[in-house]
Amino acid sequence: MEAEKIIDSLNAKFPDTISDSQIESEKRISAYAEAGSIVEICRYLKDELQFDHLSSETAVDLILKDEIEVVYHLSSFGQPLVLKLKARLPRNNPEIESITSVYWDANWYEREAYELFGVQYRNHPNLRNLVLPDELLGDWPLRKDYEDFPQKTAKNLV
Amino acid sequence: MAEELTSQSYEQPAPKEQAQEESIPGVITTTSREINEFLKKTKIQDILNWGRKNSLWFMSQPMGCCGVELIVAGVAPMDTDRFGIIPRNSPRQADVMIISGYVTRKYFPALKRLWDQMPSPKWVFCVGDCSISGGPFYESYSTVQNIDEIFPIDVFVPGCPPRPEAIIQGFVEIQKKIETKKDRGSGYEG
Amino acid sequence: MDTNIGPDEMLIHMGPHHIAQPGPFRLNVKLKGETVQDSDVEMGFIHKGIEKILESKTYLQGIPVVDRACYLAALTNEEAFVGCVEKLAGIEPTERSQYIRVIVEELSRIQSHLLGYGEYTEFIGFMTMFFYPMTVREKILDLLEMTTGARITHSYLRFGGVRDDLPEGFEAKCKEAFALLRRGLEEWGELMKSDTIYRERTVGVGVLTPDTAKEMGVTGPPLRATGVDFDIRKDEPYLVYDDLDFKVCTETAGDVYARIWVRVAEIYESMYIIEQALDQMPSGPLFPENLPYDRRAPVMRVPEGEVFHRVEDPRGEMGMYMVSDGSDKPYRVKIRGPVFPTMQAMPPLIKDSQLADVVAIVGSLDPCVSEADR
Repeated sequence: MEAEKIIDSLNAKFPDTISDSQIESEKRISAYAEAGSIVEICRYLKDELQFDHLSSETAVDLILKDEIEVVYHLSSFGQPLVLKLKARLPRNNPEIESITSVYWDANWYEREAYELFGVQYRNHPNLRNLVLPDELLGDWPLRKDYEDFPQKTAKNLV
Repeated sequence: MAEELTSQSYEQPAPKEQAQEESIPGVITTTSREINEFLKKTKIQDILNWGRKNSLWFMSQPMGCCGVELIVAGVAPMDTDRFGIIPRNSPRQADVMIISGYVTRKYFPALKRLWDQMPSPKWVFCVGDCSISGGPFYESYSTVQNIDEIFPIDVFVPGCPPRPEAIIQGFVEIQKKIETKKDRGSGYEG
Repeated sequence: MDTNIGPDEMLIHMGPHHIAQPGPFRLNVKLKGETVQDSDVEMGFIHKGIEKILESKTYLQGIPVVDRACYLAALTNEEAFVGCVEKLAGIEPTERSQYIRVIVEELSRIQSHLLGYGEYTEFIGFMTMFFYPMTVREKILDLLEMTTGARITHSYLRFGGVRDDLPEGFEAKCKEAFALLRRGLEEWGELMKSDTIYRERTVGVGVLTPDTAKEMGVTGPPLRATGVDFDIRKDEPYLVYDDLDFKVCTETAGDVYARIWVRVAEIYESMYIIEQALDQMPSGPLFPENLPYDRRAPVMRVPEGEVFHRVEDPRGEMGMYMVSDGSDKPYRVKIRGPVFPTMQAMPPLIKDSQLADVVAIVGSLDPCVSEADR
């Protein structure tokens, strides 16, 4: 399916919740989604528009705008297109619905975004730390205002 | 139990009063620690060390990039077997632990436990910049720095990652240290 | 996983130090008799915060760091990182350097698959078989070393080109190594395919169907072993893969046996690609003339923007998402490694299999833990 058709279809289906949709390059589309309706949008993309592969899911800390953006890269095993879907969340209380009911493999991506950025996923089956030890949970190390980086304990530096 | 087996434990003097209390007339009682201390001063220790230095079995425990070179050092064509250096999978059968990468806060308790599970005499050496000085990850939030303050490290093999030949050179250095009784693993240092 | 165990059940922790694991991770397995009831992967034992470190490094300093994200596929990691920066800065590498990149990346794929092949045979108990691929792997590493100067972590790619040209005598050495490798692969293939014990341990074990593999987001050889011909080199060609003739290697069974033969077929295919690239390679400069910055300049300001660049890793789809805010350091880099979803797929894959097969299944996925942990 072509990029224009996908954008038209998305805009027609979700006129209120999809914004700023644009074609970035030949194989890249991007759009902003309302955080409240992310699950419906993902389900529509997966069932109707063949975006059956979640390439990645992550978060970006935009400290100057006081926002955390959750970024989904949806692609497909059949067509060489990547759709970048973003949702803006407030920085003091980033909370969004989990998309594990649509994409099974979103589970670990969301756990990672949770422990590194503090994004709270509602209805996630098992929201706990994945790569961090227990004592670091709650520091949100990949946020821009994390204080313990760089670590200064190394003594043997040349 | 775990604390008793750390490197410091066999450097402490043996409790001698206890041995005197249990003494029987005409019978000399001793402890294995005393025998050990006595043997260190004799020629028998040289023979023991000769045996030890020629059978340094190391625990194959790849932790990072250097772990791959560690595997390569263990198999053909580098083949450390010809020096009696054989990769072992279980810490219970190993003499040498190789810290072959970044020690993270999450992995550190497991590493300490592996070290405790190894029977002494045991040696440990650092392979690669990450375990020596932090390497490219010295400022990371999740790594433990200054490994040399935690483990009694005999040899440091620098490189990022060091070549398999350098790892073999590390073993040769440790053999030299054992031969001259300057290694930290056998507990000669007071 | 529910850790409450019944009267005839047992909980076993495999790892973080376990011989059948290529890096430290923990597999908590709940057993009933010999059968796996449930399992749970615990990871992060070598999580070093690469994404945070990249935010504090300039673009040029970032190259050695991404090298170490996955030590078996350093060059493809670099390609993803360098490709991101090139797309952001609008640099087009010269044709010659694109061909050189293809050559070194395919060499990197060969050595990774050889290690995967060898390690896997060791995991299921063929210790002797481990030595054969490792011996030939040294020849491939020699080729990489004479080109890049390092065996594992190369730091070879640059924005707009490569650091050095191919050395003299590369082609002849390549031919020599490939002849050895082709003969070896044939020999080992016969050895493995005719072995009854090997077939018993691998055929029909750990079967993935195409639909479940897609659902789980598995890419690379485990996906291609189920018959799905998904390969970024074909679907979203980067570098000069468009001009090269190669096929996507697939099998249909989706079991452990098929995954290994997909890797072996890919080694053949990579050799074919390299031979073509060596033939077709044009002469010319390594760097384009109108580079917007000095190519040795440590500081380069990349225009504001964001990009997601995907390449085909030896283990599957490797993508990097880079956000630039116009300064000399990336604002955010997300590394989407192929091993992350593959490791996530382990628990459903080993469910209802025998404990002895767990090692075979986990080994056949060829997980590079360092890349999943990052």
